[in-house]
Amino acid sequence: MTAAARYAGARVQRVEDARLLTGHGSFVDDVVRPGMLHAHFVRSPLARGRITGIDVSAALALDGVHAVFTAEDLNPGVREPWYSLVGPKVPDTPRPALAEGEVRFVGDPVALVVAVDRYVAEDAAALVVVDYEPLEPVVDYKTATGSEELVHAAYPGNVAGTMSGRPAEQLAEVFASAAHVVEETIHQQAYQAVPMETRGLIAEYSAHDGGMTIWASTQVPHEVRLFCSRALGLSEHRVRVIMRDTGGGFGQKALPQREDLCVMLAALKVPAAVKWIEDRQENLSSAGQGRHEHGTARLAFDADGTILAAALDHVQDAGAYPVPWPVMTAVVVGMLFPGPYRVPAATFTCTSVFSNTNGRTAYRGPWQYETLAREVLLDVAARGMGIDAVELRRRNLLRHDELPVTNPNGMPYSDISPLETFEHALEILDHESFRREQAAARAAGRYIGVGTSSYVEPTTSGRGFHGTEGATIRIEPSGVVNVYVSGGSSGNSLETTAVQLTADALGVDIGQVNTIQGDTAVTPFGGGTGGSRSGSMIAGAVAETAAGLRERLLAIAAHRLEAAVEDLELADGRAQVRGTPGAGLSLAEIADIAYFDTRKLPPGVPPGLEASGRYQAQSPTIWANATHVCTCEVDVVTGAVTILRYIVSEDCGPMINPNVVEGQIAGGTVQGIGGALLENSVYDEDGNPITSTFVDYLLPTSTEVPVIEYGHVETPGPGPGGYKGVGEGGAIGAPPAVVNAVADALAPFGVTITRLPMTPASIVALLQEAEANQGVRV
Amino acid sequence: MKPAAFDYHRPDSLEEAVTLLAELGDDAKVIAGGQSLMPMLAMRLAAVDHLVDLRRVGELQGVVDRGDALWIGAGTTQAAIQRSADIDAAVPLLTRSTPLIGHFQIRNRGTLGGSVAHADAAGEYPAVALTLDAEIEASSVRGRRAIPAGDFFSGWWTTALEPDEVLTGVAFPRWHGRSGFAIEEFARRHGDYAIAGATVAVELDDDDRVRRCSIGLFGLAPQVERAAAAEAALVGTVAGDVRADEVGETAVSGLDSVPSDLHGPAEYRTRVGAAMVARAWEKALQEARNG
Amino acid sequence: MADVDVRMTVNGVARRSTVPPRLTLADHLRSTCGLTGTHLGCEHGACGACTILVDGDAVRACLMFAVQADDTEITTIEGIADRDGRLSVVQEAFREHHGLQCGFCTPGFVVSVTAFLRDNPDPSDQEIREALSGNLCRCTGYQGIFAAVRAAADALRATDADAGAAARDGSHP
Repeated sequence: MTAAARYAGARVQRVEDARLLTGHGSFVDDVVRPGMLHAHFVRSPLARGRITGIDVSAALALDGVHAVFTAEDLNPGVREPWYSLVGPKVPDTPRPALAEGEVRFVGDPVALVVAVDRYVAEDAAALVVVDYEPLEPVVDYKTATGSEELVHAAYPGNVAGTMSGRPAEQLAEVFASAAHVVEETIHQQAYQAVPMETRGLIAEYSAHDGGMTIWASTQVPHEVRLFCSRALGLSEHRVRVIMRDTGGGFGQKALPQREDLCVMLAALKVPAAVKWIEDRQENLSSAGQGRHEHGTARLAFDADGTILAAALDHVQDAGAYPVPWPVMTAVVVGMLFPGPYRVPAATFTCTSVFSNTNGRTAYRGPWQYETLAREVLLDVAARGMGIDAVELRRRNLLRHDELPVTNPNGMPYSDISPLETFEHALEILDHESFRREQAAARAAGRYIGVGTSSYVEPTTSGRGFHGTEGATIRIEPSGVVNVYVSGGSSGNSLETTAVQLTADALGVDIGQVNTIQGDTAVTPFGGGTGGSRSGSMIAGAVAETAAGLRERLLAIAAHRLEAAVEDLELADGRAQVRGTPGAGLSLAEIADIAYFDTRKLPPGVPPGLEASGRYQAQSPTIWANATHVCTCEVDVVTGAVTILRYIVSEDCGPMINPNVVEGQIAGGTVQGIGGALLENSVYDEDGNPITSTFVDYLLPTSTEVPVIEYGHVETPGPGPGGYKGVGEGGAIGAPPAVVNAVADALAPFGVTITRLPMTPASIVALLQEAEANQGVRV
Repeated sequence: MKPAAFDYHRPDSLEEAVTLLAELGDDAKVIAGGQSLMPMLAMRLAAVDHLVDLRRVGELQGVVDRGDALWIGAGTTQAAIQRSADIDAAVPLLTRSTPLIGHFQIRNRGTLGGSVAHADAAGEYPAVALTLDAEIEASSVRGRRAIPAGDFFSGWWTTALEPDEVLTGVAFPRWHGRSGFAIEEFARRHGDYAIAGATVAVELDDDDRVRRCSIGLFGLAPQVERAAAAEAALVGTVAGDVRADEVGETAVSGLDSVPSDLHGPAEYRTRVGAAMVARAWEKALQEARNG
Repeated sequence: MADVDVRMTVNGVARRSTVPPRLTLADHLRSTCGLTGTHLGCEHGACGACTILVDGDAVRACLMFAVQADDTEITTIEGIADRDGRLSVVQEAFREHHGLQCGFCTPGFVVSVTAFLRDNPDPSDQEIREALSGNLCRCTGYQGIFAAVRAAADALRATDADAGAAARDGSHP
């Protein structure tokens, strides 16, 4: 029917770029509404305290201040603030609009000032007097379960929830009789999504018609709409959410948070639009953290290094107000701990613990700890057994021809290629020659090392809120095409993706296709950006919708040309009789018939060329996998780590646009490198955040980042095009690859690395410890 | 993150500037490039009633060859210093330290006087001024004075400058003969303030004996420091007889208030400081030998 | 806190305004001038998203007050492409090499790189990396950005060489 895909698979230039490169993007802070007011939060300076009084009179008296809201004003207006992603039935954790009675972390929003501009709003916020009775904070989640102090009174032991696999006793015999057992407790620090555009929204309420319009920096406009309608008790169709350009999200903007709710509530009470743009200090201390967790991981091997069993006891920091329900995200850590290996038996426990700190939010591969723990432990095991870590993995990695297979925790893997990506990445490196280079370097007093990390990753959830995606395609009367999908692009090129796929589906030039996304009033409902779903789901939605339109195009053309439908093909913007050049109709000619010359339509074909379709995901999950390989040099005097080479061999199926795929891999990988070496959200012992500026919270810059080399293995997944998700994997695979490279470089010193980030000072401390233990001179 | 309100003044001459400062007293703060002050104001960690912009004060501009020293106006941007062949010829250590300050966009605004007056403990320019025994010149309605760099830096972001004084320029002595200069620092990322750093200036006689040596340390105390004991131990020795790591160890051995922070404990900073001294010493020596 | 009159030329257009002294130049450009391409990513001089040219020098617009820009000539991201919308060599290279994803940091990178390549037409890879290190990007891992700058440098040199050859020939390019 259609000619071979012309755009899918090609490095097509992005349609988003021209506006973004010239300063004409439309981010939420760029939107201006008539009479717009500006909001600023008064936040708690204490990690924990009882609010004993709030005096807003001085703030209200300031020129230009419209309102100062406290919990008393806003919180009673909250109806049903649950998330579509999670549903109303889970025992979700508390999430009040403004702090009520007690503040639970430094940055907890206590009052909201609305004023003529942000400068005045900040002046007024400084005049709001809040009296606190300080309470003993629970700063460290690691000791929180034994604390008498409670972050939330309803949660004894500060435990938000626990989930576990089969009883550990069932594996006791395997571990007891195994030739080798390795166990480490591995700690990961808190780090964050840090989108370059902070959070923000504008909420404008029209009292006369009960309509709310929200301009948002979001990954999921339809979740914002549903959330707002339920939380405020407005009809869903009276709420309109608009987003054009979102400046990065990485999970942090997947769900509306407390501040968003406050601004929505405030908009009901003031006579103009209210804009809130988070500042960077707020973002780094209040927008949510990820990754803060530790676990005791155990692996049992037989004498040949074959894995016999895997067990993980995992504990994660939920912070004070996690978003979403943390118990749901934690369990994935346990389920995936066996990873892409042949593991006969496994179990886990996953516990989420509250603390008086920044709440946990979704962050790019939220379960990534399973890969960190497993891959670091495999290297520790290999050193302990005297086997090269590469050889140990070769013996245990799943091969493509063993699939499908269900892991011992019940995860049903299919369509992946663990051993294949592993060998591919090592081939790009030339592992043997690196080992020779390493030996020569060590002889010369230089310490270089190689680390690998392999993982299997669930993408494109087929369930619930994420389970379907809609598209509307309109071939307009002149023959050009508009494709409408829900959007939520936050850097992940969804406009280009939709345009590429639609152009192929209709056999038209890409220049003839335009896309409209991010406006709930005009686009079909959709799940937005999250869980590495957009590419595959948009592909499904476009395929589903375009199929019907293609039939109509061909039927009209066949009727007009007096040819059989089977003899026609859609290509180059025409319905063409195969093998008869010139015998065909352009899309414009067909559209002219469909809209204006409808008597020429074949019987039974409706007028117009507009179709809507909704794709239902064809499997509960689409599995992707990859191997990361990192080499580095460690300066054993300063502890500095320099990454030398970085290779990712990824299997995300066929690629819609290799530029976009590689861009996602690179971006995620560098976030993971940041987590391994630089980024750290730190609190002092009183619970004060001490890394709330870009001077203290260290993002990777161009000078710390290696050139990333890509390998692509393509195993098609289920669903149209065989496309799989690729948004999160880089951030999952990178930290352990870097840890293992550093540990390998320092292997002569007998160093074991179990704490992130690997700061230069921490590396020196490990070396000094090794020196003290073994008499090795550093 | 928006600054609190203030009144703005833009004097056209040094006289006008110092008069304003005398009138406004402690309520005023001068701004030159503002690259350190602006973030403090934006975060409301600092607030001023009056901001005095020195941009149009002509007396703070220019580079003057005073024979034994090169005078550089306080208003000279770091970018201008980096570009100046005259400065590189007379005070190469200043040129070499400049690319380590922030990023090029910062150096386009940041000034020599601003860096010196800000007196960050890990500041490259304060370290260079101290290492080269520069004189820091200041003016007020009470007159002008030249403050030896050794007397200027007196604690965390604290200097000998009085609130009514304007830093007008810095006079850097020229070194002659077989001299070498180097700066080495270790930072978490390119452009960050260093965890520890060292500046070394060394002059050799014709027999390769150390005639003169200055070692500056930064990031290793509340203010930039000189490693006086290490310098004294080096003078008169044959350069080739000295082990660089020993120079480093000696240089940091007297430090008693090395800061600890997020990036590492005092012990770690000290270790890095010793390494930076050693690396700078080797580089400076190499240059002096070739001179 | 008296407001102050300022005059500046922004992207070739003379502008007079009366501004509060505490108004940052970035806010002035965004709010008063309506040039929202200058983005605020940190407001403390660390991320570089607000980079603009002041009298040709790349600077952080969040680290200047509007009053300090009196009597200056300013170029923002909106002034980098041709008036007819044709992308500059640097912008074109960013598009060609996928040097942007969400695009929020992009204006700061494009402005910074424009100034950097003007002053350093033949940069080494290390010089490019150092020049880029004052701008933060969270999407690209800097891979496409680095490739774009490398390509733009080469393209600009090739253009200059062609122009030079044409000038020597006495012909017009």
